[in-house]
Amino acid sequence: MHYGHALTFGTFLTPSARDPGQVVSLATRAEELGFDLVTIQDHPYQPAHLDAWTLLTWLAGRTRRVTLAPGVLNLPLRAPAVLAGAAASLDRLSGGRLALALGAGAFWKAIGAMGGRTLSPGESVAALSEAIDLIRARWDVTGEGPVRLHGEHYHVDGAARGPAPAHDVPLWLGAAKPRMLRLLGEKADGWVVTHQLLRPGQLAQGNRRIDEAAVAAGRDPREIRRLLNVSGDFLGGPGEKWVEELLPLVVDDGVGTFILMTDDAETLERFAGEVAPALREAVERELPGAFRRPLRRAAVRARRREGIAYDDLPETLADTTIEPGDVGYAEVRSTYLRGGAPGLVLRPGTEEEVAEALAFARAHPHLPLSLRSGGHGISGRSTNDGGIVLDVSRLDSIDVVDPARRRVHIGPGARWMDVAAALAPHGLALTSGDYGGVGVGGLATAGGLGFLARKHGLTIDHLRAVRMVLADGSVVRASDHENPDLFWAVRGAGANFGIVTSFEFEADEVGDVGWAQLVFDASDTAGLLHRWGAAQEAAPRDVTSFLLVSPPRRGRPPMAHLMAMVDTADPETILDRLRPLAEIGPLYDQSVVLTSYASVMANASPDAHDGRGEPVTRSAFAEHITPEFAADAERLIRGGAVYFFQIRSVGGAVADVPPDATAYAHRSANFSVTTFGVDRRRVDAAWDRLAEHVDGLYLSFETDTRPERLADAFPPATLRRLRELKAAYDPDNVFRDNFNITPSTTKEPTHA
Amino acid sequence: MPDYGHDLLFGTFVTPSVSPAHHAVDLAVTADRAGLDLVTFQDHPYQPRFHDTWTLLSYVASRTERIHLSGNVLSLPLRQPAVLARSAASLDLLSGGRVELGLGAGAFWDAIDAMGGRRLSPAQAVAALEEAIAIMRQLWAADRPGGVHVKGDYYTADGAKRGPAPAHDIGIWVGAYKPRMLALTGRAADGWLPSLPYLPGGPSDLADLNARIDEAATSAGRSPSDVRRLLNLNGRFSDTSTSLLNGPPDQWAEELAGLTLEHGITGFVLATDDEYATELFASEVAPATRELVAAERRG
Ligand SMILES: Cc1cc2nc3c(=O)[nH]c(=O)nc-3n(C[C@H](O)[C@H](O)[C@H](O)COP(=O)(O)OP(=O)(O)OC[C@H]3O[C@@H](n4cnc5c(N)ncnc54)[C@H](O)[C@@H]3O)c2cc1C
Repeated sequence: MHYGHALTFGTFLTPSARDPGQVVSLATRAEELGFDLVTIQDHPYQPAHLDAWTLLTWLAGRTRRVTLAPGVLNLPLRAPAVLAGAAASLDRLSGGRLALALGAGAFWKAIGAMGGRTLSPGESVAALSEAIDLIRARWDVTGEGPVRLHGEHYHVDGAARGPAPAHDVPLWLGAAKPRMLRLLGEKADGWVVTHQLLRPGQLAQGNRRIDEAAVAAGRDPREIRRLLNVSGDFLGGPGEKWVEELLPLVVDDGVGTFILMTDDAETLERFAGEVAPALREAVERELPGAFRRPLRRAAVRARRREGIAYDDLPETLADTTIEPGDVGYAEVRSTYLRGGAPGLVLRPGTEEEVAEALAFARAHPHLPLSLRSGGHGISGRSTNDGGIVLDVSRLDSIDVVDPARRRVHIGPGARWMDVAAALAPHGLALTSGDYGGVGVGGLATAGGLGFLARKHGLTIDHLRAVRMVLADGSVVRASDHENPDLFWAVRGAGANFGIVTSFEFEADEVGDVGWAQLVFDASDTAGLLHRWGAAQEAAPRDVTSFLLVSPPRRGRPPMAHLMAMVDTADPETILDRLRPLAEIGPLYDQSVVLTSYASVMANASPDAHDGRGEPVTRSAFAEHITPEFAADAERLIRGGAVYFFQIRSVGGAVADVPPDATAYAHRSANFSVTTFGVDRRRVDAAWDRLAEHVDGLYLSFETDTRPERLADAFPPATLRRLRELKAAYDPDNVFRDNFNITPSTTKEPTHA
Repeated sequence: MPDYGHDLLFGTFVTPSVSPAHHAVDLAVTADRAGLDLVTFQDHPYQPRFHDTWTLLSYVASRTERIHLSGNVLSLPLRQPAVLARSAASLDLLSGGRVELGLGAGAFWDAIDAMGGRRLSPAQAVAALEEAIAIMRQLWAADRPGGVHVKGDYYTADGAKRGPAPAHDIGIWVGAYKPRMLALTGRAADGWLPSLPYLPGGPSDLADLNARIDEAATSAGRSPSDVRRLLNLNGRFSDTSTSLLNGPPDQWAEELAGLTLEHGITGFVLATDDEYATELFASEVAPATRELVAAERRG
């Protein structure tokens, strides 16, 4: 009889207040010795003890790997709704290392003396049951409405949900009597029981009770881990003898965790050295291959989507993967601009795991596959409905590997504000975009139109090599010398070719910069646009500006917001450069500061994404802002179909690169034009009227999916070459969430 | 008139944001390294965007070395006083005496009620706080004979064991503005912790409020200097001086020294989530203020 849980080992420590350092050092020693779990008994009425919650939290700050659990927490002296928040905090602070073990209460006289409520055993079980519901409800941030529970013992009416813990915190119960065992089978994730206190046969009997209750509640008994406190006395004699005594408890009684009750460092050492490894081996011999990762709770499994082989996830990915019933789901389902409901979010943490995740995703060819780094995709559909998201945001390292040669290696999950902050101390910067929250993965595979563009070019122009996982799972490096075709394609159409796991950039030396924000009355919209275009084209390369025009609203004229960066620390030059830009129209407001690129980029909130719906955008390039273009643009802005209209200057260094040098081909354009609206048909109809003034588009800002857009994104020769390469590198069209380039039909042999 | 003569404390009031999880921890570590005396967090257990403050304090304590920590202020209605006292003593022992206990009688009663807490009127909440303080003080007095006995209208302890004793005399600091709470502060607290932005008349309101505390302290047989006066501040560092605590660090130092010498404020707690401001407060404002106050006190 076993429940398939991998064997783990824990300690049970006395939180003695007399020498607080001792219990702390035992806990850290246990972690060093390889124990998986540290539990601290909780008797809040016991003056010789430290408060268990406080101590556990302290230990979270002093350990890195072990799971922490009270053993078990005395519920009657803790308000469950507050406890739920405390547990979520501890789980988040510790990086997902909490197991919440609860007890219905004991020592009622002492509880009463503390001012707690004394309950009969039956009442205390009922109260615990209510508390479990309350705690789970506060953690369930995807649930409907606030938390309400009108129980016999707890009355909560309208408490906000959240925060959610960092992981699906297991709820364990300390239990011995039938009523508690039944509750455990119905609602909990683990049974904690002390071996010494059991009569022979009681373990099996308890398991039976739990299993029956679980099955009756529609659960699988394997969801529930069995944890046994064992004490040093019981484990007398040599290590082999301990193994001999513990083995049947695993094989016959399904114990998944042994918790050693001792405050003696030497016993911990002996157990870790002699007993734990030998017992693991013995178990593997007796029950080969029986141990897998624990089943997710029935309530979680109930929210699974069709067609995903959840239980086939490789072990390495299982812990970090998030499915719809998981606590972390609310924070990963959507992206910055898009609401989503994926069936599975894979979150690999290494290049090998990326390859594994891709293999898993490829085993589901019928499902949508979205690739995600920073989650700011506009064209890139980095979430979906019912499909798989392969999220590489954990690959977020930023290493300045060679400051002298300005070489930096960056993971796709890093955000540009963090990149800017990491490079600044070296006097370096990488031009990116205007928003620090955007991820490296999406931007550096498409282009990168940023505030240093005219002086330093596109982000992709700084790319010297990438490492990527291809559709067939192979890992390659691409640069001008290795897989040069692929390197060409990655710089402008990377999303079609694989998953970049590392970018190798050459950054620029950038000191302090001038940063201006000017607000204009844009009543003469066309005139303003035209004057700005001319001033910007005439300006030296060290100034790059973006102009945002908002439509008139409630009697207020249209307004224009200009953001300009001047790449120099010289105040005179900054003012010189800004003067012509400030003269394009009546100024409402202005601010000019000398600051760092990093502080301009530090403009995003760290909150999880909670986009809704679908963005409706269009994009185009323009050589010049002619009076005719400006007039038609004014018509668009005033027409009511769009709420956001922005033109960015490019050109300058961007145009130094030949159009066929990278898959991003629109090098000669001086301007990139973008709009956001609400209604797809209206936006498209209004935008299509600009066609005669514009040419091509920046794919990252485009959400129109009509097939013609592909030809706008890539000129014919570029598109032809991309199609051929697509056929070679991704013949099955695995990567298709962002301006999908279908493989050319004449299949070529795959690359060597 | 009053300068109660305490040494000066400088600290921060950091938003206990739950996301990113370590936001507040990192800022507290910055404050610790910068040499500030105190880091504090507000406590709103019903607010899902915030950490549980007791848990956060415990974690921050384990990641810092010298700095003292306090809730600013803990919401008593959602925390069991005897458990809180033992938790505070525990953290004080673990941290080597770095815990202070900022307490509030409660606010946002709808939210407290929604969480299953007990709704009290302002007068009841003050009485409840006083009972809680009595329980906590008895529980910490581990070497006294007998158990903890407080038979209150709101909190009762009936023979709970005393102990553990904290590592140092934990200061009970109370956020108070209204007469009843000010009187309680004078009678029973070790510190007063109001917020400057909540004083409608600005710093000049302090004189009157201090006087009430002094009076209550004296009539309870205590000395006014038994109650340290702290103040939560908002401010901005800028090159040019525009208003109170909006200007360069030396302006701040002068203004804060003024608050010490005129109003007896000896704990300055700056509300900021900014590392740079935290460092500036520690490296420039604190030493300059201390110097000004020391010079003036030498007379
Ligand atoms: C507020 C905002 C401001 C923006 N400002 C600018 C700007 O100033 N300049 C600019 O150039 N762009 C800008 N963009 C566009 C942005 O560059 C793209 O949307 C980009 O795709 C976002 O990257 P991400 O990693 O955050 O997005 P994600 O949503 O994670 O990814 C978007 C798409 O990129 C692809 N992708 C992601 N990671 C990888 C990877 N590791 N390997 C291969 N392909 C990958 C996938 O196709 C995915 O669907 C902005 C977007 C937003 C929302």
